[in-house]
Amino acid sequence: MSLNYIIAMLLFTLGIYCLLIKRNIVKMVIGLGVLTNGLHLFLISLGYREGGIAPILAGKMLENGATAEFAAAAVDPIPQALVLTSIVINVCTMALALSLAIYIYRHYGTLNPFKIRRLRG
Amino acid sequence: MIAHAPILAIVVPLFAGFLTPVVSIVAKRFGVERARDWFVMGAAILMLLIVASMAPAVWRGEVLVYKLGGWSPPWGIVLAVDGLNLLVALIIASVVSLIAIYSVVYMERDSGLEKYYTLLMLVTAGCMGVTLTGDVFNLFVFFEIMSISSYALVAFRRNWDSVEAGIKYMIIGSLGTSFILLSITLMYGLVGSLNIADLAGKIEAIKATQPLPMIVPLMLTLFVVGFGIKIAMVPLHAWLPDAYQAAPSAVSALLSGATTTVGVYAMLRVSYMLFGALAIGTMFIILGLVTMVVGGLMALTQRDLKRLLAYSSISQMGYILLGVGFGTAMGIQGGLFHLLNNAIYKVLLFMCAGAIVYRVGTSNLDELGGLGKNMPITATLFIVGALAISGVPPFNGFASKWTIYVAGMEAGQPICTAIAVVMSALTLAYFLKAINSMFLGQQPEHLREVREAPLPMLFPMLVLAVFCVVLGILPSLGMDLVRPAQGAVMNQLGYIGSVMGAG
Amino acid sequence: MAGMTVIVRTIGRLLFPFLFLFGAYIIVHGQLTPGGGFQGGVVLASAVILLLLAYGMEGAQAKVNALQAELADALGGMILVWMGLMGIIVGIAFFQNVLPFGSLGQVLSAGNLPVFNLGVGIKVAASILMVFYAMLRIQGGKEE
Repeated sequence: MSLNYIIAMLLFTLGIYCLLIKRNIVKMVIGLGVLTNGLHLFLISLGYREGGIAPILAGKMLENGATAEFAAAAVDPIPQALVLTSIVINVCTMALALSLAIYIYRHYGTLNPFKIRRLRG
Repeated sequence: MIAHAPILAIVVPLFAGFLTPVVSIVAKRFGVERARDWFVMGAAILMLLIVASMAPAVWRGEVLVYKLGGWSPPWGIVLAVDGLNLLVALIIASVVSLIAIYSVVYMERDSGLEKYYTLLMLVTAGCMGVTLTGDVFNLFVFFEIMSISSYALVAFRRNWDSVEAGIKYMIIGSLGTSFILLSITLMYGLVGSLNIADLAGKIEAIKATQPLPMIVPLMLTLFVVGFGIKIAMVPLHAWLPDAYQAAPSAVSALLSGATTTVGVYAMLRVSYMLFGALAIGTMFIILGLVTMVVGGLMALTQRDLKRLLAYSSISQMGYILLGVGFGTAMGIQGGLFHLLNNAIYKVLLFMCAGAIVYRVGTSNLDELGGLGKNMPITATLFIVGALAISGVPPFNGFASKWTIYVAGMEAGQPICTAIAVVMSALTLAYFLKAINSMFLGQQPEHLREVREAPLPMLFPMLVLAVFCVVLGILPSLGMDLVRPAQGAVMNQLGYIGSVMGAG
Repeated sequence: MAGMTVIVRTIGRLLFPFLFLFGAYIIVHGQLTPGGGFQGGVVLASAVILLLLAYGMEGAQAKVNALQAELADALGGMILVWMGLMGIIVGIAFFQNVLPFGSLGQVLSAGNLPVFNLGVGIKVAASILMVFYAMLRIQGGKEE
């Protein structure tokens, strides 16, 4: 297993640990952020090519033969687009979670998820 | 078919969602606040018409493939509509139109309503996007749009219980969607493509040529866990009772009718199309049985109406998974027919619960009683829904459950059929208990003045009850709706050929 | 919410136009350099949030108040959907390129992309600003 798989799993596990064990909703949200950032790093690292260049076309590359060279040397741009989209979704999720945390603090007086248990049955 | 129908079915609710704040500001300036409600209702009905116009072409057997931006697969994103997609799209469009009509009266006492309608349209756009797309990352993005809007809708009233239920739902749901993202990542790393049809072909090739790499069952497990959190399969159902109890009843109806259906569709599409028969059938049967039993047993002890309906939702999901897990033609037909029926009678039951909450103010069974005299129409409709969900003969629940029982006997699993029959009887038991507590019996003093629910709330409930009866008396009508979907689930090669061949 | 000391307020007032310009630069050159709609929109929003931190709610509302943010949000969304629908009206498919491609390396090139980036940038800036305004209103206790 190459290095990027190991580091991604490590960050993922750290994020889940934070999500399950910490006693503060803001820390749980940070854990969620660490988890998704680990996934994003993993996704970007999947498109890597040894000694590659950034996938941006400049003027010189449209000459004969240069385009094929560019395509062989550039890193894969699709995972970068996927990660951009996922970062936007993550921003929305964290904004909503933090707004809900503000309301919970106002109603319950505490941010400890183990004490927010009034609904039961 | 209306030209460009697949993309218009997604763009119309999205556009309506962006325009609703503007319409609301303009309407308030002119003093016509209701214009916003009519606008949203109009958008929902327009979307229903667009989806219905795709029906004749798809039921003839062709797969509608729409290339976004003119780029052909596998480099571009395509929308692919076959029988299964169309069934789910019809369910969602109808449920959302009825809920839009219902919300006009039910939500009128709340403040901040333009946010509610915007979120409703965004949930619809998300559901339609998941249903009609043929690209797995596009499915993930629309799934997130649907999920985040539904987290906000559950916490809409900002009371202590709504906020608690909302944050629980949000944390568990976000974990689920991150599992789905991890699985998509692994799939991209293994195969290098994101189009569902292309992935299906390449994974078939991998399975055929060499011993299976460990990653493929891992991907399947992550997908099942991620989508299972959305449809509340049993070990992952902890968020559902709180969310359905604390949300406004229109939102509970929307969640149980639309988002759960979409979750089941996504799970079916990914499991059957991408991974073929990788011993999935047995897994679904076991998960379905456990879900059915746990949901039914927990529902027996509930004292709150909406919580009882939530646990019975979990139980019905078990039936659908059981039917689909059998893998035979009749089993899949039974499962999909039960999906359709579940949407119909669950939305009806939640709307009745909403009518009671609107008039009385509480949904606690201990405090209600004798409402049959004050609210006769609501009581009759609730009884129709309760009999339908328990599988009593002239209603639609019986037709779909009977199909699942017969499929179980045919597939050589009589124990599953026996457990399913016992759980149906238990369902009838707790619903009769609920009906007795609410509509019959002694009427407490403070409930003497309760009147019947207003007409715009009764109209969608009547439409759904009529569907319950019609699909029960003429089950062949339901089977005609479901047979193209079942054919599409089993016809993996046809789907791959149509989508890749159009490029 | 009260503001901060004289130093922060002066530097904030001086930096605001440059941040705004930088955000607009990232949006407009989206198809030539890394960046584009989302990134430029966030920088634009952070320019106004800098004013929010330095001057308090009143100072930021004087520049971009809540109603303008909502209308800008809807405007950005509508630009996006209209560019897609133009693809249907003019050509064959949704989001088909309708504007001319131009030559490589120029700002006005690559078909739909500059207008698309503009729509996304406006929408993202307005949305993030509205998120901050809403959170501060809840904290102040005026929201219920």
